[in-house]
Amino acid sequence: MKVRGDCVGCGQCAAYCPFDAIIVMALASMNEKCIQCGTCIDYCPLDAISEEE
Amino acid sequence: MKAVIIGAGLGGLLAGAKLAGAGYSVEVFEKLPFTGGRFTNLPYKGFKLSTGALHMIPHGSRGPLAKMLREVGANVIIIDSEPMAVIRKENGEIISFHDFRNELSLTKQVKLGTVLAYSLKFRPNNDISFRDWVLKYFDDDCLLKLADSFCGWSLSLQAKDVPAREMLEIINNMYLYKGSGVPAGGCGAVTDALCEIIKSKGGKIYTHSCVERIIVYNGIVKGVIVKGNQIYADIVISDIGPIGTSNLYECTDSEYLDKIKNLKPSKGIKICLSSDEPLIGHSGVYFTPYAKRVNGINEVTNADPSLSPPGKHLIMSHQAMISEDTRTEIDLGLLDIARVFPDKKYEVLLIQSYSDGWPVNRASSGSDTGNETPVKDLYIVGDGAKGHGGIEVEGVALGVGNLMKMMEVN
Repeated sequence: MKVRGDCVGCGQCAAYCPFDAIIVMALASMNEKCIQCGTCIDYCPLDAISEEE
Repeated sequence: MKAVIIGAGLGGLLAGAKLAGAGYSVEVFEKLPFTGGRFTNLPYKGFKLSTGALHMIPHGSRGPLAKMLREVGANVIIIDSEPMAVIRKENGEIISFHDFRNELSLTKQVKLGTVLAYSLKFRPNNDISFRDWVLKYFDDDCLLKLADSFCGWSLSLQAKDVPAREMLEIINNMYLYKGSGVPAGGCGAVTDALCEIIKSKGGKIYTHSCVERIIVYNGIVKGVIVKGNQIYADIVISDIGPIGTSNLYECTDSEYLDKIKNLKPSKGIKICLSSDEPLIGHSGVYFTPYAKRVNGINEVTNADPSLSPPGKHLIMSHQAMISEDTRTEIDLGLLDIARVFPDKKYEVLLIQSYSDGWPVNRASSGSDTGNETPVKDLYIVGDGAKGHGGIEVEGVALGVGNLMKMMEVN
């Protein structure tokens, strides 16, 4: 997944990630557990997460 | 009469519950998959963390939010904190919040009482900051640190960024309504209860439903567009802030646009901790004026153990963000926590930061631009339209109250 600079680090994506694949520290980043399911996209209040092109 | 509400945050839901109770047909549209905005629970590893605000109602069961919840019949239990707050002194000693006066010289104690009484009656101009106000009467490092700690905890601002007038209004409300409480079940219990009220009165709440446009005709609001469908309404109330709202229609009022463009959101960091043993031992605010960044900490599981898995405590610290470098601010916050609890074992669960488009407050306290917009029947509620003297969600409730008065809804 791709995280844009608008991410502020609120952590909603990490809490709702079914695979415990998001680390939040000032901004979100995905680790190797990410299977690109896209759940995080819906939970981001800033539309800052998108699928990799 | 039909009311459409944009955003199911606390402001939108309070307005929705009030209007549904007054006989309006209410429809709430929320972009996210859940309701509650930055005032609901965030499930995380068996803990009930929060999306934004801490699980805390600044004036507890006596304040403006509690009053409005009672008015609409929301079934929420608020557990008032006892003690209301404590202060951790530089040497680590804990004193009751009200005893901070004893730390001052006798002359300063007397002066504080006189100056406070005078300033509460004759409020200073809006252009003097709370820090300058303190400095004007007292050259006292302890008071300045406490002012920063209190402003940081309650408003996510430094005392230099809060108008003294607004802060004195808050101090007045502290005398009036007293201290904080924890909503049983966390802040999600509050917003969930409001959703139930709206639904029980025939209102509808749609999640996953982003409002794409606000329909305005001849300067009067006519409805909204959601997923390409036009939804007509007599009034539209927006809980997405003045700027987000103005982006949804062609706003031509340059004076209004200039005013809202200058709004400064407040920024903050919340560090969520878990521990087996209590770190604080009560649910009142634990102010840390001598920490580098952390302003205060609370341990909500002392009020409601169900907010964490059995045998665990949930502790949250809050700090205003001082620099633009969030990562450094977080590191300083973590160092503070290690220094405050040197002998305790705890685990960092999640670190949440709030700024810019998803801030602590869309309008930092004292800079709110009110409920009205240049469009007739289009109003703003929430953290961009707080009422004066209201800390965080108390301000949101006061702002909704102001709008209800304007609309003549009881």
